Amino acid sequence: MSNAPVAAERPTSSFRISLLRLWDAFKMPALAILSAFILGGIVILITSGKPLTVLQAYFGLVQGAFLNQRAFSETLVKTTPYILLSLGVGVGFKTGLFNIGVEGQFYIGAVSAAWVGVLFPGLPAIIHLPLALLAGVIGGAIWAAIPGYLKARTGAHEVISTMMMNYIAFRLQEYIVTWLLKDPSAGLVQSPPVAKAAEVWTLYQIPVRLQDPLNALGVALVFAIIALLIARWALGTPRLREQVETAGQRRIVYLVVGVLVFLITFFGLPAFTRVWWPFTDPYDRMHIGLFIALAVSVGVWWLLWKTTLGFEMRTVGANPSAARYAGVSITRNIMVAMALSGALAGLAGAVEVLGVTTCRCVQVSFISGYGWDSIGISLLAKNNPFGIIAASFLWGAMGNGADFMELNSGVSKYIISLLQGLVLLFVAAPAIVRWIFRIRAERRPEEEVPLTHWEVK
Amino acid sequence: MAFALQATGITKHFPGVLANDHVSFTLEKGEIHALLGENGAGKSTLMNILYGLYQPDEGEIMIDSQPRRIDTPHDAISLGIGMVHQHFMLVPPLTVTENIMLGQESIQASSRVLGKLAVLNRRSVTERIYELSQQYGLEVDPEAVVQDLPVGAQQRVEIIKALYRAADILILDEPTAVLTPQEADELFIIMRNLVNQGKSIIFITHKLREVFAVADRISVMRAGQVVGTVKPSEATQEMLAEMMVGRKVILQIDKADAHPGEVVLSIDGLQVMDDRRHMAVDGVSLAVRAGEILGVAGVQGNGQTELVEALTGLRHPLEGRVTILGHDTTRATPRQIIEVGIAHVPEDRQKHGLVLSFSVRDNLVLCTYYQSPFAQGIELNFPVIENFAEELVHTFDIRTPSLETNVGSLSGGNQQKVIVARELARQVKLLVANQPTRGLDVGSIEFIHRRIVDARDKGAAVLLVSAELDEIMSLSDRIAVMYKGRILDTLEGKSAAREQLGLLMAGVTKEVAHV
Amino acid sequence: MSTTTNTTGRIRRTGLRGTWWVTALMIAFGLFTIWGLLSLVIRGHGVCGQKCILDTLNQMFRVATPIAFAAFCGVMCERSGVFNIGIEGQMLMSAMVCYAVNLFSYQGLKNVMDPAAAGDMSRWLALVAGVISAVLLGSLHAVVSIKFKVDQIISGTVINILAIGITGYLYRQFLAENLPPGPGTFPIFNIPLLSKIPILGPIFFEQKPLTYLMFILTFVIQYVLFFTPWGLRTRAVGEHPRAADTLGVNVHYMRYVDVLAGSAIAGLGGAWFTLEAVDVFNPLMTNGLGFIGLAAMIFGKWTPFGSLLGALIFGLGSSVTSTVSIFRPDIPSQFPQMLPYILTIIVLTGVVGRATPMAAGGKPYEKQ
Repeated sequence: MSNAPVAAERPTSSFRISLLRLWDAFKMPALAILSAFILGGIVILITSGKPLTVLQAYFGLVQGAFLNQRAFSETLVKTTPYILLSLGVGVGFKTGLFNIGVEGQFYIGAVSAAWVGVLFPGLPAIIHLPLALLAGVIGGAIWAAIPGYLKARTGAHEVISTMMMNYIAFRLQEYIVTWLLKDPSAGLVQSPPVAKAAEVWTLYQIPVRLQDPLNALGVALVFAIIALLIARWALGTPRLREQVETAGQRRIVYLVVGVLVFLITFFGLPAFTRVWWPFTDPYDRMHIGLFIALAVSVGVWWLLWKTTLGFEMRTVGANPSAARYAGVSITRNIMVAMALSGALAGLAGAVEVLGVTTCRCVQVSFISGYGWDSIGISLLAKNNPFGIIAASFLWGAMGNGADFMELNSGVSKYIISLLQGLVLLFVAAPAIVRWIFRIRAERRPEEEVPLTHWEVK
Repeated sequence: MAFALQATGITKHFPGVLANDHVSFTLEKGEIHALLGENGAGKSTLMNILYGLYQPDEGEIMIDSQPRRIDTPHDAISLGIGMVHQHFMLVPPLTVTENIMLGQESIQASSRVLGKLAVLNRRSVTERIYELSQQYGLEVDPEAVVQDLPVGAQQRVEIIKALYRAADILILDEPTAVLTPQEADELFIIMRNLVNQGKSIIFITHKLREVFAVADRISVMRAGQVVGTVKPSEATQEMLAEMMVGRKVILQIDKADAHPGEVVLSIDGLQVMDDRRHMAVDGVSLAVRAGEILGVAGVQGNGQTELVEALTGLRHPLEGRVTILGHDTTRATPRQIIEVGIAHVPEDRQKHGLVLSFSVRDNLVLCTYYQSPFAQGIELNFPVIENFAEELVHTFDIRTPSLETNVGSLSGGNQQKVIVARELARQVKLLVANQPTRGLDVGSIEFIHRRIVDARDKGAAVLLVSAELDEIMSLSDRIAVMYKGRILDTLEGKSAAREQLGLLMAGVTKEVAHV
Repeated sequence: MSTTTNTTGRIRRTGLRGTWWVTALMIAFGLFTIWGLLSLVIRGHGVCGQKCILDTLNQMFRVATPIAFAAFCGVMCERSGVFNIGIEGQMLMSAMVCYAVNLFSYQGLKNVMDPAAAGDMSRWLALVAGVISAVLLGSLHAVVSIKFKVDQIISGTVINILAIGITGYLYRQFLAENLPPGPGTFPIFNIPLLSKIPILGPIFFEQKPLTYLMFILTFVIQYVLFFTPWGLRTRAVGEHPRAADTLGVNVHYMRYVDVLAGSAIAGLGGAWFTLEAVDVFNPLMTNGLGFIGLAAMIFGKWTPFGSLLGALIFGLGSSVTSTVSIFRPDIPSQFPQMLPYILTIIVLTGVVGRATPMAAGGKPYEKQ
């Protein structure tokens, strides 16, 4: 009765299980997106009166996002802040926190990075760029840690406090740019442009940048570290683990890999890029921030699922009572999660200022609106870092294609925000989508309704 | 023979479980009919069907020999059926009067036209409550706020709530779970009183003793079926126990004598406040030695919860000291206390003991994930964790389809086993078990009792807190009785008598009794 | 607060804090402090005479109006157990709809009646339309969180995002340029005799309709919540829905109606922006006042009078800082603008007293 295990027929191959799980994971979001576009199409039809407009709109969207000149790059440029911001929101969600203050943390990160970018005019890029990014990270982290601390100590609900911090951040940024960090020579109210050394490199610039030996050094170091991490992961897989057993052997592998990659990159890469480099369009805005974002995504995934800290954070998010009883410190995890969340948002702001804005500065009218979107992206992707990358790409594509869509069909580009809102609605209430498409909720055996709910409690 | 209620062929399915299997049950007018069965037998389901909270898949119900449909509690109430649930259905911040009139509010006649927005007439309800209180001997204060009432008073409110709605049939679901033996006796007197005034009562319990005290007939349920209906005069405890479980039940666990060693846990003058700023633990001192089981008996709500929370670092005491193995843990964090060597089986397994959405594997390392070998520095070592989890599942016979299964899909007994496995797998110096077998079937109860005794035999000190007097008496080497935040007395397990313990649980100490 | 309990559990409140005259004293003390600070800050830059003070206090009520409505919406929803953080979005939606309907219906109506009457009519029509739009959004939130049992914070956030999206789109499409002139906002209505009372008159009785409605609604909600069967059931459903269910109360129905009623109030709050405050709409005009309303509700311990007090405190903060900035244009405007938000955070941290929300708040109810 209550002890009898529920027998289940399970497919034998674990690959098939993963594939099935993948399909399951993607099915609902995909259908949500489809439903949103269908509904959006109906709205366009109603407001314009012509079915042709719907086609023009959606084709224009696709063309504007991917096909036009530089369109794909622009889509990727828009994707980058979404990835970082949504990771921030996702990390918060996983710990049971609704950080809707990512917008404000984004601003503070931007301002902090701009400030550091303007200070220290003589520093080489190998120091100045990471420093400026770090400033953004710290700024965002502090901005989020304040409501985090308040929540941990006083229980102040973070939805309201982070929202308030947003509005304070808008004003603070205005104040700083208008009074403290003002560029006297510019026509508009904005901060001075950051030093060239603090800029985030666009892909076009890379061959030139690499001519500076210090920059090449920095890049080589980064590549070497990445190579080492990959080597570490590879040595952990079952097959290689048998072949490389002792610690001494491992150290040799690491040494060889690290030194080799470093040398090849340091000496080879600048020369190589001088000879051949595909990114030759000076107006192409794609920048290395994207790669930073991707690397950070992997880092967040590793943190959440492979480390003790991540385990604690997820436990606090899933059941704070049980976490307490098991010895996990709720206060510490709330603070860490909020700080991390803010750090990611701050990094997004830093990258945006240092790599995307034309003036490489913060303008007083700096409005992003990325914040609300990233909450939606995180919900759509169920807080999974890789889902976040995919959803961010979708959002970036929609945002980028919207301008051309308007040109092509006359439909206001703000219908995109309507579409995005609808996607969210359908994701939040999958039952609606199920009802539309007549999908019955499947019950896999191990996820059946618990047997205990009717027992005498 | 007039029947107040007849249920025939009641069948109810839940996903994966047949809760009621063609159950037939009758209630004669003016009788107290006890429904006996272990946790999970289907008693509550049957009663919820009679009260309209569930709908049966098959079967028929007759009230006063007329077939009736009971689709909602509203129908049940209008048919004269009233239910006192095991977990009280009272809204804590509202007064007694407001709770009683909820759903059937009386309004000032002049504002009747406003319908639900008319003015409430509290006075008429209050007067009626006084009337009922006199008539049936149920003392309550209608203006009191429910959350400030002691448990016994709350129960009386529940009964009056049913009588206010002119219930002729009363269903009492495990009413004695929250009462001392003396209070239970008082309740039985009230029940007799009600029956003498024409009511009929269904009385659900899993405690064998009680049915002999008060029942006119006893029906036993097991695995969703009614196994038999007998008169108390024709039955014995052993017979009923066997009917309940389906095999011979050992009513007393078999344990060797205790050989207590050094003092492991020492509590000195502990004072702890609860969430509502009342003194829940009022100067408790006790000591538990290695290799002995100290049982803390007492009805829930006398400070046991706060005592355990203070011991495990979840609540800071106001005054006093807690020492575990020489370490002062009075203001330590839960993690520090775990590292000293405490194992804690919490009261509420689903809320405090497990993360229901995590896998069995994750729950098994919930307390130790950060220690080597489960983690190296900050990184988790999954192969080691998997092996460990597999071993535990095997040793503790946890029935689960896989290690990855969400622990929320396991049965109550298996969930508790996960917790017990996790806690006992460590080097346990002190085991604190709080209501460890609540809501479990007999098989699981036996298993867990066995494990607790094993831990003791391996040299752990065990602090067992339980509201089930049988459990305390069966397992404990020494018994301390807690009443209103104080330990009234500590007795030897072997020689303690039920009567004695019952009196202590009700606050009657030797001095008072002699006066 | 101290209490005594006898054997049957009756509580007699014997403490100080709950009494009305203590609250009145605290309010007086607060006002005095603020007047003192005000004088200090503007010393040397001008004098805030009687008219200036009366104007500031009058403005307090005006600014408090949307906050109070938001708080009332929160009270209605949360008392029945449903968190609604989508109030901001509902107000934004209502503001836009009110603006649009006001404008466009005026165009139609002024051809059939004289302009003044057409203006009045279009404003009332707009009010109704705004309320309806907020109720529609609220019904979405209700269905998603009650029927589909989605996390209520997520559902509220989705409402906010949807509102921003819809209003942004419709605004750019139809309302950004080439607009005909509209009839303007509600005029101030001086209550005949009462507005002539010295001091109190100009403060309380020279307001616009929605502000008066705010006062009336405070009493109405207090009555409904604590003196009627509906209110009793609502409170029960918010604290212990299963208990109410066992007594035949329909938990889901109560929650739906309460959320819809609350949404209507949020619609009134949104109408304030475009029918009373200013005669334009811009896409982010609600400025977080919906969230501040939630803070006022928590401050007021989920009661209408407490929420009103909370809203007035924010209103006072806002109106005092705008008075100060008239006298001191040298202080960067951003700092006074930050003040309401900082104040909200302070309130939230419970410096002004911890508050316990409804026990069943935020939890979807499962009928078993």
